[in-house]
Amino acid sequence: MRDRNDGPSYGRRVTAAVWFRPSQQNIVFALFAVLFVLFSLFLHGFLTTDNMLTLLQNVAVLGILGLGMAVVVIGRGIDISLVASLAVPPGLVLQMVQNGHSLPYALLTAFALSLAFGLVNGWLIAYAEVPSLFATLATGLFLAGLGQVALFKLDVVQWSPGMNALTVIGQGTIAGLPVPILMFGLTAIAVMLFLRLTRIGTYIYAIGDNPNAARITGIPTRPAIVLQYVLAALVGAFAGLVLAASVNSMPTRIYNSTLIYDVILVVVLGGIGLSGGRGGVLNVVIGTLLIGTMLNAMTIMDVSYSGQNLIKGLVLLVAILADSFVNPRNEETAQQGDI
Amino acid sequence: MAGLMRWTIPVFAGFGMLALMAATPARAQQGLDEPFQAQFNKALEGKVVAYVPVAMNFDLTEGWYAGVKHELAPYGVKVEVRDPNWSTNAGAQAVTTLLSEKPAVIIVHNPDVQTYAKLLQRAEKEGIYIIQINMGSAYRSTVFVGANWTEIGERDTTAVVDACKGKSNKIAIIQGALSAAASAYTLKGVENVLAKHPEIQVVSSQAADWDAAKAKAITQTVLKQHPDICGIVGFWDGMDIGTAAAVKEGGLTGKVFVATSGGGETRGACDQVKAGAFDLDVSYDVPTQAADMAAMIKWLLASGMKAGETKSSIYTTLIPITKANADAPGTCWSLAAMQNKP
Amino acid sequence: MNERLVSLRYRYWPDHLVGEILSKRWTETAIPAIVLVIVAAAFSEAIPGFLSAAGLADTARQACEIGFCVFGMSLVIIVGGIDLSIGSIFALTDFCALFCLDVLGWPVWAVIPATLLAGALLGAVNGILIGYFRLRAFITTLITLIVYRAAYDLLIFGHSNQIAAAFPDIPIWNFIGGGTIFGVPSIVLVYAAIAIFGHVFLTRLRPGWHVVAIGGSRRSAFNSGIPVRRTIAQCYVASGFLTALGALFFAARLGTVGGDIGVGLEVTVLTAAILGGISLGGGKGSVAKALIGTLIVLLITNGLTTLSAPGGVNRMVLASILLIAAMIDIRWVKNRNRIISKVYVSPTYHAMPPIPATDPDSGTPFALNDRLRDVTEIGVGRIEAPEDIILDGDDNLYAGSRHGDIIRFFPPDYERMEVYAHIGGQPLGMAFDRNRSLYVCVGGMGLYRITRNRKVEKATDETNRSLRSVNDDSRLRLADDLDIADDGRIFFSEATVRYEMHEWPVDGLEARGNGRIICYDPNTETTRTVLRNLKFPNGVCITSDRQSILFAETWGCTVKRYWFAGPKIGRVETVLDNLPGYPDNINLASDGNYWLALVGMRCPALDLAWRMPGFRRRMAKRLPVDEWLFPNINTGCVVKFDEQGRILESLWDLGGVNHPMITSMREHRGHLYLGGILNNRIGRYRLAHADPDFVHYDRRWGITA
Repeated sequence: MRDRNDGPSYGRRVTAAVWFRPSQQNIVFALFAVLFVLFSLFLHGFLTTDNMLTLLQNVAVLGILGLGMAVVVIGRGIDISLVASLAVPPGLVLQMVQNGHSLPYALLTAFALSLAFGLVNGWLIAYAEVPSLFATLATGLFLAGLGQVALFKLDVVQWSPGMNALTVIGQGTIAGLPVPILMFGLTAIAVMLFLRLTRIGTYIYAIGDNPNAARITGIPTRPAIVLQYVLAALVGAFAGLVLAASVNSMPTRIYNSTLIYDVILVVVLGGIGLSGGRGGVLNVVIGTLLIGTMLNAMTIMDVSYSGQNLIKGLVLLVAILADSFVNPRNEETAQQGDI
Repeated sequence: MAGLMRWTIPVFAGFGMLALMAATPARAQQGLDEPFQAQFNKALEGKVVAYVPVAMNFDLTEGWYAGVKHELAPYGVKVEVRDPNWSTNAGAQAVTTLLSEKPAVIIVHNPDVQTYAKLLQRAEKEGIYIIQINMGSAYRSTVFVGANWTEIGERDTTAVVDACKGKSNKIAIIQGALSAAASAYTLKGVENVLAKHPEIQVVSSQAADWDAAKAKAITQTVLKQHPDICGIVGFWDGMDIGTAAAVKEGGLTGKVFVATSGGGETRGACDQVKAGAFDLDVSYDVPTQAADMAAMIKWLLASGMKAGETKSSIYTTLIPITKANADAPGTCWSLAAMQNKP
Repeated sequence: MNERLVSLRYRYWPDHLVGEILSKRWTETAIPAIVLVIVAAAFSEAIPGFLSAAGLADTARQACEIGFCVFGMSLVIIVGGIDLSIGSIFALTDFCALFCLDVLGWPVWAVIPATLLAGALLGAVNGILIGYFRLRAFITTLITLIVYRAAYDLLIFGHSNQIAAAFPDIPIWNFIGGGTIFGVPSIVLVYAAIAIFGHVFLTRLRPGWHVVAIGGSRRSAFNSGIPVRRTIAQCYVASGFLTALGALFFAARLGTVGGDIGVGLEVTVLTAAILGGISLGGGKGSVAKALIGTLIVLLITNGLTTLSAPGGVNRMVLASILLIAAMIDIRWVKNRNRIISKVYVSPTYHAMPPIPATDPDSGTPFALNDRLRDVTEIGVGRIEAPEDIILDGDDNLYAGSRHGDIIRFFPPDYERMEVYAHIGGQPLGMAFDRNRSLYVCVGGMGLYRITRNRKVEKATDETNRSLRSVNDDSRLRLADDLDIADDGRIFFSEATVRYEMHEWPVDGLEARGNGRIICYDPNTETTRTVLRNLKFPNGVCITSDRQSILFAETWGCTVKRYWFAGPKIGRVETVLDNLPGYPDNINLASDGNYWLALVGMRCPALDLAWRMPGFRRRMAKRLPVDEWLFPNINTGCVVKFDEQGRILESLWDLGGVNHPMITSMREHRGHLYLGGILNNRIGRYRLAHADPDFVHYDRRWGITA
């Protein structure tokens, strides 16, 4: 995975060979390593197996969402509606089970809802050509509204005993590993396989790199774009199920939070440029690790929530500043529309 | 005119009684017009009560709405909701618009102590009664109905401190949002108790921003660092579901005392206490609050008192929900039942 | 009868306006504007008093606060970035204002600049990072959003109680927050002022153009020397400043530092900006778009809240309207140019009498001959498109070229040539003034002057804007030919105001009077349009009485005379009518008569088509341009006529061997020099009985050699 300034694409398969190159991803990784070592040395109780697992577990949902976002961002889009995908279909599962429907039926309905939602997103962006930022902003709003009006009685949907079969994806451990971490890992592998081994995965890189060229080459760009958003919606819904199982309820009010910004941060910070065509699963993992490490250490140090955000923001700023000094962009290399 | 009526009607009524006594026994068996209810009905008929919560769709605001409407609708009072859906700016705009629409009463659920303050002041100047519910504003209006947050903080903390007796004396505090008044008042209550108990050590006091996931993350980290912790004070049961989940995952249910507070809706409160998620959930009983508000509205409309002439508060009697009473009828309330009440 | 109806319909029904209105830049905003009207109408129908003065004043305060932020966001989007930190800057500056006022006890006059400065500084952080360090806007402002928000949370934690306790009762502060002037809220006045300035800034001022240019293409802007980094940085500063302005009014209105002030504001603002039609990626946007977007979003949210709609319904309706509006708008913006190209060409009815005979044995003055067969050729293959030619008293020959030069050929053999002056646009008409400065009509540029020391100066490139024209006709599109009156005033023709130079045949297809005669007065440096609605006015020549000009109307096939002075001032008379070809330049002959070039001959097919506007419209809509019917310009001639309208002689080159087409001719010392806009040569024809000492502009100005 290379930085996007390196010129025409040949490189996302040469990961190991360019490990030392000061791309944004590597800068973030270096920053993560430095912080990790510092915390391990000076922060009591940081470097323990238990804490490491907690660290990972706390950012697992964020990481899963990041993976969904990554698929879209690599295809030169963005999915602001991801938090709505996270909240509403899983919320629907909980609500339906609460209302006495069977779990499989509820899951199937939620899956259909996610699928439809992803298709609408994709259609709007690929066929109606609405800019992705705007389209997903609006559809997310719509889905959240739909949830409030028609699907949920209250905005915190409680866990009911009928759901217990699903507890396993959010709580407990398998082979010593907390389940959310496993879920993150599974999703990461699935997304990686999709991006690397399937033809459509390659198409998505091509579309992100240069949509017009991809189209001229004969790649079915529009269906591929639709697929991206369907995948993102499904991954989002999966993250939502993990979250719900983990906290034993679905606080749909999460839609109002700034979670989506954290998701974008994880993706972009890891080195997946918003201009598309670059990066992969590893970038998301690295971005997630950096955020997780900082949050965990600051929680241990009992830094207040706002203080954590302040420090987090400043560290991230350092990361992208360092990147801009190591990989300067100028007016000649800047891509139009890369905001 | 009203004053005159207030005097003359009893007088006439008195004469009427005398006349009746003098009349034949047969006529004494006829019914008697209750002299005040017509006036009361007239005062309420067609009045509009506007209700501006921070958002609908959650147990407290839905419960208040159902309760107030149930009490007032039979008298021809129209209860209108203006739902800002968590947007302070939209809420302020809704209140501003109401100023020119001039309903008889506005029930506001403040998002913070200041945003509506100036607007509420203007509203009362224009003769609109302002009833504030649960979240007070810096401007004190005719009526405030709500929980005493400091008391909630004190009760929760006292319970945690008691539970810690003979244990590690380490506790954690999961606050709401730093900037929310309810959170700050509750924290004050916590501090009040802790001041009396210097032996208690607060290992973590962080805001989870009313977010269950964040509460869970914080709690997990804290529990890993301090597995011997003996109690956690949470500020809202909706958020502390996450706290409880972390405790449960750590296998510390029963060992860590979780105290929190909330509106007392069955699913969010009693069911959770029964399931062992919370050891104490202090409830500011929503049906009671709704009834208090409805009573105040009736009284204000019927009395014809000038808006803002007197200013007073009705603090809600808190119900501590523990395993002991979680099953008892009346401890919790059900939103569905309240909405479907005949 | 039927044709009479057609002629009336095309005379009075302004077909051409449709295309002209559509090609206005502001029609890009049509869809959002229509949505706004529909939304406003729907809500005023549903809510009594929604659009009343009081209701509007209520909405206006909030709308303007957010409107300021939308301006800031729009500016940043236009320059090619995005500012997500707007909500947090709003919160911080709101805090700053209230902290200064309530806690520090500053007077209001100090609070206002302090708040605005704080906003500008917060914006400057973004600006420096994005402009100078060239970080990516999205991620940078995302991070500053988080940082600023955290700072705000920490600040209000310490001070919110003090601010909450204060109820400042300062008249001027209350006026800012709730005052009105003649019933108009104070904030609306400020907003209007900023909006007007913003409009002027983006459309009329150099820095505004720089902003749009950078957004349109950062690389090109950089290469053309625009200070890209500084401009970008300044846009973020402006964004912070405008946000602070909104926050200032908000602070005065509500006086709150509540926890979620400004949370999610960036989404509302972004929605408004995009909905108004300001496209992400930069280079497109206007103040009107920002304003319309703001109003749509706020009317919907406030209207639905007032209707007691549950929050979820509110969201769904808002989202649906946003999506539908965006989809229609995108279709509209995408297809607008296609629609314009279909409807812009609007042919009209134009009937001509039968073509006069030109057969060799017809006996008319136009009878074909071969007199131009033996012209001498000058500069064959070395000059391209000499539309007009002129000679000076020293016999130097000047000709325009397609490359935007004036080429000078040196006597006696005119073999040697040089670039006399480079103008940059194609010269179409030339004349010397009294001081031997060469005035040149340049297609697409206007009227230029080349002084004797070869300095190129712009004389004029705009005239007075006519009130009833939809197209902005103040810029000169196709200045064509000129002549100079005794008092120095220059009369020149502008062939069409609807098309660019290379589209001149399309104007012929329309056959509407799109051209005009314009007068430039070098003494006062003023330009006025004197005659309008002429059918492709072309050649211009001063007549013998020095009070009038002759001018040719190419598509009208006429030569007319216009008096600009004297007893017949303002009158127009037809001199030549129903010419067999399309007249071009007119120049003086040595015997006091006039030379006229016919650039091409009429043909019955186009004459017939001119009487059938519907047919030509269908042709323009359905066929590609290169298959359209065009005026014939493949053969032509030179005729001599007098002021009474008699044709004296005609010169032809049958078969077009040497001079296939002629657009101009100039008599000089017994020779006639011929130019043609599609030729690669200049012709020199020996005149038998001409004055051997005739030099056009020496005779004109009374200079004797």
